[in-house]
Amino acid sequence: MRPEHVRNSICFQVVDLLNQAALIPTDAKLAVLKQVQELIINKDPSLLDNFLDEMIAFQTDKSIEVRKFVIGFIEEACKRDNELLLRLIANLNMLLKDDSVNVVKKAILTLTQMYKVTLQVTKAVSDMQEACWEMVTQMKGDVLALLDSENDGVRTHAIKFTESLIVTLSPRVVDSDVPKRQESDITLDKVPKDHTYIRYDVLCEEGKSALDKLLKFMVHPAISSINLTTALGSLATIARQRPMFMSKVVQAYETLHANLPPTLAKSQVSSVRKNLKLHLVAVLKHPSSLEFQGQISTLLLDLGMPQSEITRSTPPPREHRKRPRHEQYTEGKKVKLEQTLMEDDEDKEEPAPLSAPKPAPVPVAQSAIDLTADFLRPLLNADNVANLVLISMVYLPDTMPASFQATYTPVESAGTDAQIKHLARLMATQMTAAGIGPGRENEASKEGANEDDMGSSDSLIKRKVMVGQAISVVGGYSEKEKAPNLAAVKRLPEPILPSAQTNRLAGLTGRKKVFRLADVIQPLSETQIERLTSKTIKRILHSEKTITQSGMSHVRVKLLSKLVTQFEGIMKEDVLHFILEDIRSRSELAFSLLYQEYNTYLSQLPSGLLDSYDQCLYTLLSGLQEKPEQKDGLFTKLVLEAPIITESALEVIRRYCEDESRVYLGMTTLKELIVKRPSRQFQYLHVLLDLSSHEKEKVRSTALAFLKRMYEKDHLRDYIEKFALNYMQLLVHPNPPSLLFGADKDTEVASPWTEETVRQCLFLYLSLLPLNHKLVHELASVYTEAIADIKRSVLRAIELPIRGMGMNSPELLLLVENCPKGAETLVTRCLHILTDKVPPSPELVERVRDLYHKRVPDVLYYVDIAGNFSIVRQIKGFENLIKSILREGSSSVSPLTPGDLLIALHNIDSIKCDMKSIIKATNLCFGEKNVYTSEVLAVVMQQLMEQSPLPILLMRTVIQSLTMYPRLCGFVMNILARLIVKQVWKYPKVWEGFVKCCQRTKPQSYSVLLQLPHTQLASVFERCPEMREPLLHHVRSFTPHQQAHIPASVMAVLEASKKAEAKPAEPVKKDAPHAERAPLLAAAEQAQAQARQQETRTVATHLVEEREVAAVEEEEEAEEEEQQQEEEQEQPMEQEQADLVRCEETVKVPLEVRSANVATKGMAAFSTNS
Amino acid sequence: MPSHPLRVAVVCSSNQNRSMEAHNILSKRGFEVRSFGTGSHVKLPGPAPDKPNVYDFKTTYEQMYNDLVRKDKELYTQNGILHMLDRNKRIKSKPERFQSCKDNFDLVITCEERVYDQVLEDLNSREQETMQPVHVINVDIQDNHEEATLGAFLICELCQCIQHTDDMENEIDELLQEFEDKSSRAFLHTVCFY
Repeated sequence: MRPEHVRNSICFQVVDLLNQAALIPTDAKLAVLKQVQELIINKDPSLLDNFLDEMIAFQTDKSIEVRKFVIGFIEEACKRDNELLLRLIANLNMLLKDDSVNVVKKAILTLTQMYKVTLQVTKAVSDMQEACWEMVTQMKGDVLALLDSENDGVRTHAIKFTESLIVTLSPRVVDSDVPKRQESDITLDKVPKDHTYIRYDVLCEEGKSALDKLLKFMVHPAISSINLTTALGSLATIARQRPMFMSKVVQAYETLHANLPPTLAKSQVSSVRKNLKLHLVAVLKHPSSLEFQGQISTLLLDLGMPQSEITRSTPPPREHRKRPRHEQYTEGKKVKLEQTLMEDDEDKEEPAPLSAPKPAPVPVAQSAIDLTADFLRPLLNADNVANLVLISMVYLPDTMPASFQATYTPVESAGTDAQIKHLARLMATQMTAAGIGPGRENEASKEGANEDDMGSSDSLIKRKVMVGQAISVVGGYSEKEKAPNLAAVKRLPEPILPSAQTNRLAGLTGRKKVFRLADVIQPLSETQIERLTSKTIKRILHSEKTITQSGMSHVRVKLLSKLVTQFEGIMKEDVLHFILEDIRSRSELAFSLLYQEYNTYLSQLPSGLLDSYDQCLYTLLSGLQEKPEQKDGLFTKLVLEAPIITESALEVIRRYCEDESRVYLGMTTLKELIVKRPSRQFQYLHVLLDLSSHEKEKVRSTALAFLKRMYEKDHLRDYIEKFALNYMQLLVHPNPPSLLFGADKDTEVASPWTEETVRQCLFLYLSLLPLNHKLVHELASVYTEAIADIKRSVLRAIELPIRGMGMNSPELLLLVENCPKGAETLVTRCLHILTDKVPPSPELVERVRDLYHKRVPDVLYYVDIAGNFSIVRQIKGFENLIKSILREGSSSVSPLTPGDLLIALHNIDSIKCDMKSIIKATNLCFGEKNVYTSEVLAVVMQQLMEQSPLPILLMRTVIQSLTMYPRLCGFVMNILARLIVKQVWKYPKVWEGFVKCCQRTKPQSYSVLLQLPHTQLASVFERCPEMREPLLHHVRSFTPHQQAHIPASVMAVLEASKKAEAKPAEPVKKDAPHAERAPLLAAAEQAQAQARQQETRTVATHLVEEREVAAVEEEEEAEEEEQQQEEEQEQPMEQEQADLVRCEETVKVPLEVRSANVATKGMAAFSTNS
Repeated sequence: MPSHPLRVAVVCSSNQNRSMEAHNILSKRGFEVRSFGTGSHVKLPGPAPDKPNVYDFKTTYEQMYNDLVRKDKELYTQNGILHMLDRNKRIKSKPERFQSCKDNFDLVITCEERVYDQVLEDLNSREQETMQPVHVINVDIQDNHEEATLGAFLICELCQCIQHTDDMENEIDELLQEFEDKSSRAFLHTVCFY
C-alpha cells in the first residue's frame, strides 16, 4: 500500500472509532478513544489536526474518566505539536474549573507541564501567543489560589504545581540538581530578557512570591498531614534544584520542627517527622547545604536518629545512621563526607554504630538562630533553667500533645556542655521564629542592607510563623524547656517508634485532634473585648478619608452601622460623637445608622424596644440642635427622614423651635411633620400649639403664624380650635393652673393671675379670632366668669383681633346684640375699639340701641358710644339714658356714680358730638339737684380741673355749680387760682369762661385776678373794661406795704387810663365782711416777712402756695382716699376700660359712703378758705 | 468512587509472606494488585536464625521451593515455608523488587516501618515526571503466618474502604484515623509523586 492509502485507511479507522465512541458506554469508550489517540498522535500525527476538534468535543462528556482522558489527550497532543497549545489552552482552562475534583486534579497536573511548554513556545511573538500566555498566567494564578481549596487532594496538587512553578521561574545555577528528564525543560535563565510580553523580572518575582506563598501555606496551624508532607517534599526539591532558596527552606524546616501543627494525630506526627528526616537528609546531601549543615544536623539529632539506633532491634533507616558519623567530621571534610554518604547508601545492612549525640558543629554562616543561641548559652545556668521550667509549668496543657509524645527524646547528657548548647539552640529557634532575641535584631538591621525583596519576604514568613506558633504553643507547649526537667527523672531511652507505643497510648493521646477553635483560644475579658471593639470601630471610623478615596465609603458606612447596631456599648456613642464632629459630611453615616437601628427594632417586633433607636435619634438631633449655625437644613432633613419621631426627639425639636435664631426653620420642620405624617400629626401639632403661648415673643408669634395657616386646613381646624378654647377656659380658674408655667418654674399653686399668664391663655385664641368670628362668643362666656384682673387683661388684649374682625362681622354684631350678662364691659370695649378710628356703621348703632332698649344697660358704655356716635339718631335715646341713669343712680344698684357720669360727659370729644347735646346732657344732670349736691359737684370740679387738657365745658360747669350753690364760691376761687397755675389762658373757651366767672364772683375774684400776669390781666380788662376800675380801687385800698407787693407792670395795667387816681384806703373794710379774707390777709402778713428776701415773687403766687400747703395739711386725714383717687386720675387713657371694670367692682361699696368721702375731701379743701 | 480500579502495591521486605498473603486476598477481591519486596535480597528462614536462605530477586518461587525441598523438606514443611512458596508460585512466578518497578500506583501499602522508609526513599529519589500522587501507608505486620493472614485482611478492608471513597485524597486522612481507632494500630501515611 502506498503511504496515502495507509493514511486514508487510518483516517477511515479513526472516523469509524469516533462514531462508535459517541454511542458506547464509558469503559468501552475510553478504550476506543485511547485507540484513536494512539492513531492520530503516534501513528499518523498529520491527522491530529483533522480530528482535534472531534476529540476535544469529548471534554463535555458526562463521565469523569472521559474528561480526564481528554486532558491527557490535550497534554499528549501539545507535547507532539507545541503549537496546538494555542488552540487547546482554553479547553484546558475549562477543565480546570470542572465540577469534579478528579478532573481538576488532572488538569492541574497537565497545566504543570503545559506551563513550561507555553513559556517555551511563546518565544515567538504573535497576538495569539500573547493571548495564550495571558491565559496561562491567569490559570497559574487560579491554581495558586487553589492552595486554599476545600479539598485536600486539590491542595496537594496545587502544592506540586507551585513547586514546579518555583523551579521553572527561577534560574538554574551551577549547584542545581537537574533531573535528567527535565534537563531540556525551560527555566528562567533560558527566558530571553528582552521579550515583548514575557518579562524576565516579573517572572522572577512571581517565582519568589510563589515560594513565599508555599512557605506561608506550610505554617498554617491547621494544615493537614498530607499537605504538610507534600510541602516538605516540595521544599526539599526546591532546595536541591534551586540552592539559592535553601536558607529559606531550612529555616522553614526548623520552624516546622519546633511548631508541629497541633491538629496532627500521633501517627501523623510520626509520619511527618519521618518525612522531615528524609527530606533533611536529601537536602543535606546537596553540595550547597554546607553552610546549613549545623542547623540540619541539629534538627536530625532532635528527630531522634541516635536514640532509634540505640533502642530498636530493627536496623534504622540507612541515612539516619549516617548522621552522627557525619557530624564527627569537621567542616573541611565536607566534600569528602558527601562522597562517603553516597557510597554508604549501598551497604545498608551494616549494623548501626551506637554513638552518643555529638555537639552540633559550628555553622559557617551565623544565622539569626546561631546568634541568639550564642547569646543564650552562657545564660543557661542551673538557676535560670530551673526558673524557666517552673514558669513554663504554668503553660503546660492538660493533656500531653501528640507531637510532644512523639518527639520527646530523653536527654542523654543533661547538664553537659553539649546539651546546654543544644538547648540554647532549641530556644533560639523558637525565639527567632517569634521575632525576638539578639540574632533577630541583628538580622533585622542587616535586612535593610540586603536585597530588598529577600528581606521583605523573610519578614513575611516570620510573621506568619508567629501566628502559627502562638497557636501551637497553646495546644502543646514545645518540649524544649521541659527537656531538662524530665531528663533528671527519666534517663532510659524510650522508643519513638509509633507502633511500639500504639497499644499503650491508643485512646489517650493517639487520637487525631480535630481542630476546634475553642481549644486554641481563650476568652477575652470583658474589658479587653470592650477595648478591642472600641479600637476596631475607631479604626474604621478614622479610615474615612482613605476609604472615600477608594470609592468604597458606602461599604464602610454599611459596615459601621451594622456593627454598631448589633452590639451595645460605648462604641455607639463613639460613632455618634464622631458623626457630630462633622455632621455635614457624615450625614450619610448618620442616616444609615438610624435606619439600621430602626430595622433592628422592626425585626424584633412586637417585643422590640425603641430605646436604642430613640437614643440614636435623640443624640443626633440634640447634637444638631446644640451646634451653632448650620444653614444646610440637616436638622430638618433628619427629622423628616427619620422613620419614627420619638417622644424625646420631639422634645429636641421643641427645643430647636424655642431657639429664637432658628425658630422659623424649626417650625417649618414641625409643620412638615404635621402635614406629612398624618398618623401622628396631632402629637406634632400639640407641640406647635404649646409653643403658641411661649414666653418668647418671637417664638410665639412664629408659632401663631404657622397655626393660622394650619387652621385653614379642615382636618386640623377642630383640634386647634379645641386647644385654643381649652386654653382660654383656663381663665375661669381663680388661679393660673400650673400648666401655664414651665416645669422648671416651681410656682406656688396660689400665685395670682398676672398680665403675662392671662395673655398666655389668649394668644392662640386671639389669633384665631379674626379667622373664625364665631369664636368670639366663647370669649364672652369665659369673660363673664373670670375675675376682675383677668377681665382687665382681656380687655387690653383684644384690641387687635377685634379690629381685625371689623364692625361688619355678623358674629360680632350678634355678640353685641345678645350681650351676655356680665360681658357688658367686653362689648363696650369692642365697640370702643371698632369705632375708635371710623364712624360706626348703622347696623352697629342699631344693635346698640336695641341692646339698650332690651336691657338696663351700663351707662358708661352708652357714654362711650355717645362719644362716638352722631347725635342725630341717638340724642333722644341719650337723653332718656341719662335720665334713666340718674334714676338708677339714686338706688345703690347703679354701677356709676353721678360724679363719674358728669366727668364722662365732659370728656366726650366735641368733634364727634356737638357741644349742644353735651350741654343738654349736663343740664339734665344739674337738673337733678338731689343727686348733684354741692359735694358731688365739688369733687367733679376738682377732678376736671386736674385733667389736662382742660375740658371745654369746665368753666361752664363751674359757673353752673356756683349758680346752684353760691356757697361754693370760696372753693371756686381756689379752682380759679389753680387754673392760673395751669395757664388757663391757653384754652380760649375755658379762658372765656374764666373771665366770665371772675366777673360774676367779684369782688372775691379780685385777689385771683391780681395773680394773673399783667398781659393776661390786660386781656381781662379788654373783655370787661368795667372790671378795671373796681380792681384798681381794690388795690388802692391795700396798705402801702401790701401795695408794694403788686408788681409795677400790673399796676401799670391797672392804672392804664386813670393814672391820676389816688390810692384807695378803704378796700380793707370792703373785704372785711368776707369770711375768707381774714386767713388770706393773715397769710399775706406772714408772707411779708419772707418777701423781704424774695422780692421777685409775687404776693399772689405766694399766697397760693401757702394756701396749698395748708390744704395738704388739712387733707392728710383723708390720705387714703386721696391716693386712690389720684391713682385713678392718673390712669392713662388706654386703661380707661380697666378702670371701668374697677368701677363696676366698686359698686358694692355703698354709694353714699363713697360720696361722703369725696365730699369730705372736697369740703375740707373748701373749708380752708372759708 | 473512582471509576478506574485502585492500583495497589503491597510491599514487604522479601515479597514472600506478608505482601504475598495480602496480594492473594486482594486479587481474590478483585483489586488490581501487585506485590514487592524492598530488601536487597530475598531471605527465607533457615535452620537457625543466623543462617537464612538467601536468594536474589531473579530466583523464581518454583526454584526456591525446589531448593528448600532439597535442603530439608520436613523442616520447611513444618514451618510452612514450602506451603507459602507453593501458594506464591501460583500467584506469580518470582518475587519482585519495589525499587526496580517503574509502574505507577495509587496506593502503596508497606508491612513494616523499615520497608516504609525504603519505599519513601526510593520514591523520593526518583525523578519526578508526571507528579501523579501515590499514597504510601504502613501497616505493621509481624513476619509470621498468622499475623500475615490477619494483616492481609486488615489491608484488604482498608483497600476496600479507600476504593469506596468518593474522593480518596480528601477522605483518606479521616479514614485512616478511623482505622487506627478500630484496629488499635498506628498507620504511617504519606504521599509521594511520580
